[in-house]
Amino acid sequence: MANLNIDSVKERTFDAIVIGSGMSGGWAAKELTGKGLKTLMLERGRDVKHVKDYPTTNLYPWEFPHHGVLPMDVQEANPIVNRCYAFGEDAAHFFVKDKEHPYVQEKPFDWIRGYQVGGKSLMWARQTQRWSDFDFEGPERDGFAVDWPIRYKDIDPWYSYVEKFAGISGNRDGIAELPDGEFLPAYPLNDVESYFSNHVKANYKNRHVISARCAHLSKPNQIHIDQGRTQCQSRTLCQRGCPFGGYFSANSSTVPWALRSGKLTLRPHSVVESIIYDEKLGKASGVRVVDTQTKETIEYYAKIIFVNAAALNTNLVLLNSTSNRFPNGLGNDSGVLGKYVAFHNYSAHIGAEYDGFKEWTTDGRNPAGGGYIPRFRNVYKQETDFLRGYASGFSAYRFKQHNYDGVGASLKENTVKGDLGPWYVGSHLMGETIPKESNFVKLDPKLKDDWGVPLLSISVDYDDNDEKMKKDYIEQLTEMFTSAGFTNIKPSTNHQSPGLDIHEMGGARMGNDPKTSVLNKWNQMHACKNVFVTDGACMTSTSCQNPSLTYMALTARAADYAVSEMQKGNV
Amino acid sequence: MNRRAVIRNLALVIGSATLLPSCLKNGGTPVVALKHLNINADQEDLIGDVCETIIPKTNTPGAKDLNVHLFVLKMLDDCYTKKDQKTIVSGLVEFDNMVQKRYNQSFGNLNEKDRVAVLTGIEESAKKQNKAKAPAGRNTKPQKTVDANPLFAFYWAVKQQTLFGYTTSQYFMTKQIVYELVPGRYNAHFPVKNLKQA
Repeated sequence: MANLNIDSVKERTFDAIVIGSGMSGGWAAKELTGKGLKTLMLERGRDVKHVKDYPTTNLYPWEFPHHGVLPMDVQEANPIVNRCYAFGEDAAHFFVKDKEHPYVQEKPFDWIRGYQVGGKSLMWARQTQRWSDFDFEGPERDGFAVDWPIRYKDIDPWYSYVEKFAGISGNRDGIAELPDGEFLPAYPLNDVESYFSNHVKANYKNRHVISARCAHLSKPNQIHIDQGRTQCQSRTLCQRGCPFGGYFSANSSTVPWALRSGKLTLRPHSVVESIIYDEKLGKASGVRVVDTQTKETIEYYAKIIFVNAAALNTNLVLLNSTSNRFPNGLGNDSGVLGKYVAFHNYSAHIGAEYDGFKEWTTDGRNPAGGGYIPRFRNVYKQETDFLRGYASGFSAYRFKQHNYDGVGASLKENTVKGDLGPWYVGSHLMGETIPKESNFVKLDPKLKDDWGVPLLSISVDYDDNDEKMKKDYIEQLTEMFTSAGFTNIKPSTNHQSPGLDIHEMGGARMGNDPKTSVLNKWNQMHACKNVFVTDGACMTSTSCQNPSLTYMALTARAADYAVSEMQKGNV
Repeated sequence: MNRRAVIRNLALVIGSATLLPSCLKNGGTPVVALKHLNINADQEDLIGDVCETIIPKTNTPGAKDLNVHLFVLKMLDDCYTKKDQKTIVSGLVEFDNMVQKRYNQSFGNLNEKDRVAVLTGIEESAKKQNKAKAPAGRNTKPQKTVDANPLFAFYWAVKQQTLFGYTTSQYFMTKQIVYELVPGRYNAHFPVKNLKQA
């Protein structure tokens, strides 16, 4: 019996454990296995195998029972996730339904989640931009949060490293505030997008409209072919999972890569209840897992642990990992764990028309989505009454317009007949929000989920800075649109809750000082050296770039450091 | 189309729909086992006739040929709130009564000219009251809320779903336009004159 237990412990012991299998967890597994570590990847949801588990990927619109529209009972049962643009009949199976995994909203927060292997990397919007020192130096310069413990030079080579593998399309635009990367050919701007780009370049200092950089294989390299991926086919049905592996997801790329090493054990249906802290060793010894199918509690052990459960769930796991040494959550000597949560402000949009390029249109579909306007506010100096700034999406499109008046044979003909309408242009706000102590998550003191884990209670809101920024975005874009000769300009703002941007960040922020931060410059816990947090929870500030690329780079960097520390015997 | 054929075809288009047992009574029992809508077989037929009037058989297939009327029933049954369904169904009753009163026969027995006149009349008066909810833009997906006036709500819902079902039908997306699942290209600078005209 004793021997059996010893064997069992041995079987449950790995070099490394990765909690989570999505955007950053996939990278952690790839890097750690690549360096020879026997790695266990824990995923709370089911497995989703590339291609095989994309049931809707090749369906035509008429093959869906409601041709793409979700039945009302599904919509009404899921008011939160139903607000997500990608929650349709073709991809609903990749989203957590509201009632499946409840949480507490002290303030309205739309928590959009994907509990499966691959996580949200299956359904993400695939926009990928580097940060620059204008972003890393932000908190220090503008006096909020804490100083980032890294600068651009620290992460630059790691951006390159992950870009080459993931496959990022883009132009080398030479913009200081949005550094160039290792790019596959960009998807071109269309005529009106180019026109606006040229207009802005000629008329505005330090403002740019560029081709959106995205994680699509416009022209695959050998490394992508080696992953079993092929050229993006411009389907723009990405949220269903791509049979071509045309965009980067953990499912198409990092997870199968790690599995092929023979070093990875992938364990779906495994909710991590907590990380086990060994008081004698003074470090984490493993994790406590609940098997969601058998309800059995199992412990796994490893020398290092990467926490990649997605920003807020990472906070939940850490807060729930209490011990004598850490009564308020693992690594939480500072008391900041769960605090300084921030997100991106997506609550404004502006649309207009352009009367030109009537003889031109587009053909096929653009997976990059069009253009991107890097942050131009408060970049070189503080110039407004709000802190930081915003990036903006920008795209132009036109489509055939039909006269749907009346009924009968003429209406039937008109469903086919029609003229191309004018060019429409649209832009949306992607604003940086300021991390604050008052924006936090915590464990609900009473409510627990089916596995005995406390529910997460979320208290995150906009502030006055966000309102000012939103107003400025509308003013600036309206002015730029007017100046470009766009007409019928229609700004609109909404009151979408934080969370619907799906860019929630922070709670276990990086910093130089253990008194005010949870992680050091290597994403390593100040107070528990063999635990690394490299998902959105680590973010000290949010800037306004889409964050996934930065998570990938931070993860690869941290994995490299972790393994070298292991080899030196330091962890 | 006899009932068995309706059931068989319905099973083809609506894989997941639950169907009534084969021992169907004539009269009040609906053909389709609707989960939410409380309507009878005659009312289903009436909706089918409205669909066919909106997208009639010409030298190409009409709504009924393509089973769009069954799709419309499914959408009305599945994709509206209970409140909207109530409004739509009371609009359906109102519609039926209105036609009976004016023509002394049911909508299904009217000639095509009269059917078109009835529907066009409703559309015109809805628009006059500034309550136009005609589908616009690049798709014909159903609106989120229906008109407060039951007759208009009924009319727009059936019209929208007929248009949506027809323009997303296999026939339409393969024979009238070409929907590309795998375009394999993006041309950012493309002459309008080179667009394929259907």
